[in-house]
Amino acid sequence: MRIMFEQTGGLMGRKTSLNVELDSLPDAQARALRLLLNQAGFNLPDLPPADDSVRDQFHYKLQVESGAYTQSVQTGDTSMPDALRPLIEELTRLARSQQST
Amino acid sequence: MHVHHSVLCITPPHMLNQIIRNGTDEQRNLAQRTLLDSQAMRARRDTLRQRLASTLPVQVGAGKNRVVYDAQQGSQLPGVKIRGEGEQPSEDPAVNEAYDGCGSTYDLFFFAFNRDSIDNKGLKLISTVHYQQGYDNAFWDGEQMVYGDGDEDLPITQRLFNRFTKSLDVIGHELTHGVTQHEANLAYTNQPGALNESMSDVFGSLVKQHQRKQLADQADWVIGEGLFTSNVNGVGIRSLKAPGTAYNDSILGKDPQPAHMKDYVNTVEDNGGVHINSGIPNHAFYVVARELGGFAWEKAGRIWYKTLTEKLNANSSFADTANLTYQAAAELFGAGSLEQKAVKTGWAEVGITLAEEVANNEGCFSSVMRSLGLRS
Repeated sequence: MRIMFEQTGGLMGRKTSLNVELDSLPDAQARALRLLLNQAGFNLPDLPPADDSVRDQFHYKLQVESGAYTQSVQTGDTSMPDALRPLIEELTRLARSQQST
Repeated sequence: MHVHHSVLCITPPHMLNQIIRNGTDEQRNLAQRTLLDSQAMRARRDTLRQRLASTLPVQVGAGKNRVVYDAQQGSQLPGVKIRGEGEQPSEDPAVNEAYDGCGSTYDLFFFAFNRDSIDNKGLKLISTVHYQQGYDNAFWDGEQMVYGDGDEDLPITQRLFNRFTKSLDVIGHELTHGVTQHEANLAYTNQPGALNESMSDVFGSLVKQHQRKQLADQADWVIGEGLFTSNVNGVGIRSLKAPGTAYNDSILGKDPQPAHMKDYVNTVEDNGGVHINSGIPNHAFYVVARELGGFAWEKAGRIWYKTLTEKLNANSSFADTANLTYQAAAELFGAGSLEQKAVKTGWAEVGITLAEEVANNEGCFSSVMRSLGLRS
């Protein structure tokens, strides 16, 4: 299973991304991400958020590929469903950690 | 004996009225007498304003109504209320920075432009600090400001960002998004979006300059001062003075902002590069302020404020803004004034020609062609 994640926008307008194969991660980390993916159940339209009056928020793009199955979602800080938030926060943390190492 | 109260005699009428409404008896009497005194000593304005501010810490700007909440590292807004207007400082520096930063922003708009808060009707200034964990950002959600703590969740050696309330110009930037929303309401895409961002940078920088009482040539013109940790090679996230030079770092890369139309970045990311191309109008403003000298909010700031609140619309382009600032300068300072010439210079330095010049040049071209019998 592969996860492709992008965070864009924000006050700085910078892109931070993560492209990770779950099998390449340590077991505990892969298990944690699978759990968050299951909890997220992101059956949402793959459209950018339309928060017309929000300025400088982050936008997120997430694509999960597993065999022939692909699912993607776009969301923003203020429009994100609660169920998706723990997954997005964890992917953001991983992306930020990786850029600094 | 008539005592000449120099503290108040340079004070603009709107401020005197505010003091009359909200000051102590002594201050009220002083302000009333001053309003009757027609011999305003404009040349001493700044010294006197500083003294006024020091004597009226609470009464002046009494329209201020600030509330700071704590999201406690979650995402629910506004969170738990920590500090309201006039309440004692918190033990939490982020709370006090948000509170004080809102105050400084209110003061710029009130004292320099006679504006009462974001909506010019005394709107409550709501801030939430400690939004999420490891949140490298601050945003305006349409009703309030939201601030993250930066990279507090990473090891010190990996941290790039400090908490976002540390930067006064960032606080001014976010609040100005509210002002723009209530005025021109510039669309958040392509050139109108970059103008929206630029207005926030311009007034964000002016908030800091006003708070520090800095002249244009003393200011750093940086947005995001203090935001980076010592692990980053950079002074902030943007520079109005020299777009493209704010940072050049092994992890963050190089500041991508252009300072000239020839380098305009066409992209679909970030709503058409709203945080990138804002460098162009940002630099135009800087040049105008540089040309005029003195306090940037007094002339360049007034021209931009008038343009934002009276002339721009949701779809205004860079060229529209250039022409409208030129018009605003004529209305405020006179056609052909030094201020109007400075506006022309500002836009010329970023590669934008005013419509008036285009028309004049076309007129010259047409007359030459006509004299040669090549055009009717």
